[in-house]
Amino acid sequence: MAKRVKVRKWIQIIFFTVAAFIAVNHSLAEVGKPIPLIGEASLHAICPFGGVVSIYNLLTTGSLVKMIHESSVVLMIIVFLSALIFGPLFCGWICPFGTFQEWISRIGRKLFKKRYNTFIPYKFDKYLRFLRYGVLIWVLIMTAWSGKIIFADYDPYYALFQFWTGEVAVTAFIALFAVLGLSLFIERPFCKYVCPYGAVLGLFNFIRIIPLRRNVSTCISCSACDKNCPMNIPVSKKKKIIDHQCISCFECTSEDGACPVSSTMEFNTKKLEEK
Amino acid sequence: MRIKAKTAGISFFILMLGGILISMAADYWATEGSKDPLKYTDGEFAGENNPADIRGSYSMDDVHNAFDIPVETLTAAFGLSHEENPGSIQIKLFEEIFGIVDGKEIGTDSMRYFVALYKGLPYVAEEGTALLKPAISILRKEGSMTDEELSLAAENAVSLETAEINETATEDHDDTVLMEIKGKTMFSELYDWGLSKEDVEKILSMPAGARTMSVRDFCIANGIEFSTVKEPLQELLDNL
Repeated sequence: MAKRVKVRKWIQIIFFTVAAFIAVNHSLAEVGKPIPLIGEASLHAICPFGGVVSIYNLLTTGSLVKMIHESSVVLMIIVFLSALIFGPLFCGWICPFGTFQEWISRIGRKLFKKRYNTFIPYKFDKYLRFLRYGVLIWVLIMTAWSGKIIFADYDPYYALFQFWTGEVAVTAFIALFAVLGLSLFIERPFCKYVCPYGAVLGLFNFIRIIPLRRNVSTCISCSACDKNCPMNIPVSKKKKIIDHQCISCFECTSEDGACPVSSTMEFNTKKLEEK
Repeated sequence: MRIKAKTAGISFFILMLGGILISMAADYWATEGSKDPLKYTDGEFAGENNPADIRGSYSMDDVHNAFDIPVETLTAAFGLSHEENPGSIQIKLFEEIFGIVDGKEIGTDSMRYFVALYKGLPYVAEEGTALLKPAISILRKEGSMTDEELSLAAENAVSLETAEINETATEDHDDTVLMEIKGKTMFSELYDWGLSKEDVEKILSMPAGARTMSVRDFCIANGIEFSTVKEPLQELLDNL
């Protein structure tokens, strides 16, 4: 059985719990019963994507998009900084909706065993992965145009953490159920094909300071890295893995993940053969 | 330099906590909207909080903090003393609780109006804004307004019984269908409803604000009384 990156799993659980806790507490606060000593922050306040969609508004009017607060801008900067160094660590480690999809994927793995996450041929899949940039452009334009957080009406993450509030649009529930169903066949379908924030962070893979590298001379070509990559990146075919879909999950690495040979798959600033 | 998973995880935590702490130290970190209303910039009341900037997201506690009016007084004025946690009631709920009664509206602007009269601060209420009768009784005893202002407010007051009857009728109130200009209405919504930019600018007598700016915020920023703009804009919308 492949090694799993334990520290990542724990961090995922922590952030999922924090997001759920904040969502519930905000609802309690709205009826005048907040949990003592905890703020009344909404889910929007802790979403760094709120900062991204507010950039246009900030530049043109000096104000944020409705329902977005300064905390989103701060978190956006922090996540961008971390992505510049480590790549989209946020996607692989923090995002509660990515975590949720991974949990559902466990059922899919049990159902389909080795066939899980291999249903869409790579030759088609690699093009489908660009869909999320279309979503990103649409969200940015529509938010700038309307001044409202347009994506909330289609956002399965919002539906998951607000389903009890009566504020979730039917379209968001449909998106949530679609992601739930697809997660039984594909790992992280929302991240791969739709997530506009994943699209933004994915671009940092091209400029990240610490990239993922493969030591060609020690690699035994067992493809363990390929099989364990939740994003289906053909890791074993590259020397330096620069892929806009990498989520820095460490599942393919020698030290923490599936690679059985030490010092062969690493996040490293230097070329591995030069060590 | 090689990075292990543990190092990456810890680094992210440090980055996040550090970033949040720095933004807190810089007084930028905010997870909720500011509950400090804008102040009058000139005249006799320069430097005092302006009730015109009371927003629907304010709770009774927020109004109390900003204007030093006891929560008990505020809740009594709007017939909400019996509520379990009155300080946390948000003003935007007035529209759901009371709504429009006999063509008059008990909403966020009613709170602005009440606060202004109570404190004796200058404020022109929006056309159609009314107070409840208990509010008039309180103002009569504790308010700082002129007799003329009080009698005008009393003339337009709505009885609590009538307002309560209206409660269920306003439950499914749909703002987008009604095309009703409120404090949060943005310029983009005016255009979406069918007004042209020229129409809007004619009423404002100046270039309109950014699409995503609320008309009320624009008015406050430009020293225009919102009610003087709201009425003609609403008239234009009604005639579409």
